[in-house]
Amino acid sequence: MSQFSFVEATDWQCAACNQPLEATKVQVTYLKSAFHVELMTCPKCGFTLIPEDLAVGKMLEVEQLLEDK
Amino acid sequence: MTPVCLETKQTVFNRAIELLSSTSSVCPVCMQRVAAIREQQGNTVYQVKRCPEHGTFRTVIWRGSIPFSSWLRPKKPSAPLQAFTEVHQGCPYDCGLCPDHGQHTCTALIEITNRCNLRCPVCFADAGAEQPSNEPSLSHIGFLYDQVMAGSGPSNIQLSGGEPTMREDLAEIIRLGRDKGFHFIQLNSNGLKLAADPCYAQKLKDAGLASVFLQFDGLKAATHIALRGRDLHRIKEQAIINCGKAGLGVVLVPTLVPGVNPQEIGAIIEYGARFAPTVRGVHFQPISYFGRFPEPPADRDRLTLPEVIELIELQSEGRISRDNFAPPACEHALCSFHGNFIVQEDGQLMPLGSGPTCCSTGEPQAIPALEGRQKSVNFTARQWSLPALPMANAQGCGCNGTDKPQDDLDRFLARARTHTFSLSAMAFQDVWNLDLERLRGCCIHIVSPAGKLIPFCAYNLTSNQGEPLYRGVERA
Repeated sequence: MSQFSFVEATDWQCAACNQPLEATKVQVTYLKSAFHVELMTCPKCGFTLIPEDLAVGKMLEVEQLLEDK
Repeated sequence: MTPVCLETKQTVFNRAIELLSSTSSVCPVCMQRVAAIREQQGNTVYQVKRCPEHGTFRTVIWRGSIPFSSWLRPKKPSAPLQAFTEVHQGCPYDCGLCPDHGQHTCTALIEITNRCNLRCPVCFADAGAEQPSNEPSLSHIGFLYDQVMAGSGPSNIQLSGGEPTMREDLAEIIRLGRDKGFHFIQLNSNGLKLAADPCYAQKLKDAGLASVFLQFDGLKAATHIALRGRDLHRIKEQAIINCGKAGLGVVLVPTLVPGVNPQEIGAIIEYGARFAPTVRGVHFQPISYFGRFPEPPADRDRLTLPEVIELIELQSEGRISRDNFAPPACEHALCSFHGNFIVQEDGQLMPLGSGPTCCSTGEPQAIPALEGRQKSVNFTARQWSLPALPMANAQGCGCNGTDKPQDDLDRFLARARTHTFSLSAMAFQDVWNLDLERLRGCCIHIVSPAGKLIPFCAYNLTSNQGEPLYRGVERA
């Protein structure tokens, strides 16, 4: 698994725009903290694919660290 | 036209008293339960109670510019898994826990000795005996662990005393706790023995210890001498170093005493951050008054939670803000505050997600007590242990042995895995300010010799003549 970004060839397309996704630098925010990550995004509407391994991996870890007790 | 208030001494003295809410307490003299109110005058909130026999008592409970009304985090009470006592006389006389208690154990304190190698003028446990008296055997401690598990399920454990390192079998006691299924065991210590023998910390770590709750009152010799009778600063530092080498997290625990060390709050935080990641945070404990006090302690001898937050803000020159702190998820809101941070490469603290949220309006919704307790158990265990991960380097790149570039999440995670830092405080209650609403929400429980779980402030409670309600008195 890539350690630094989630740019990868993917079969996913944006259902609304019928566009193939493109690697885009996006800002992810959670509890007042902002992070810049490259993710596959619809070039038309900006809808971003967050792969499962990111959501339950690094992103979850970051969320847990940011979360209040 | 907007009315203008000219604040003169006269207006301060005449400031109206506003009744805020009611609760219950006990009379400081006879310890009978009495009705109490919380009333506000200016920016100070008092608990006022009247005993028909011994008169009226008025004690400051909140003082400063942080509004009392803003400090809320209500919980829906949750009864113990197994209550070891029944309700006979009602709170606070049936602790054990009784079925009316509203919160589960987050941290269970087991006092394994009454011996101590210091003679502190300030001591919760009234320890200091040279010879052990009724020191629990290893098998009895096993019974106490079993009681915690039966009454509250897996909780965090704090081994306390006296000075627990006086016990030769401390490693066995720790190992037994781990074998019984407790994942986070913390040692409450003055650090003398940890400093004296570098192998000792490793021995405790190998037995399964996670963290040391290190008595740490300040950096000045005068502070140590006032509170502990001798200058312990070098000893404390050596204890921190030895714990770090052994992989033990350290929490600095200053007892804050007005006139002695509140001016050192900022310096203690800076010092702790300098020793991150070994030092996991600072946990302030404003002094409370147990023992014999024929006259009530003066309000100037108390330091309330908002005052501690204001001093942090002031002494950090605003780098740490009151907005970085929140009331607790587990215990009653009036019992503590906490804030979570990351120690950056320059030693400064960057706040994490504590503090008021952007979108809250009106009164916060009550959360289930059990949910808040579980959050707190997990958070404390994670935050106060030293992670066994490679340290982030000076650039904070968190190199993982590959030359792959890192994104923000990687950089954040690498730093946060090692350098999160918590600032917190707990306001213990004494006989003058005991609030039974707070007591029922308590999650810090002392395991009595008979294996009952008794809220910390009830266990240490003494009348103004120094007579205990629970300590040394096994109530039926």
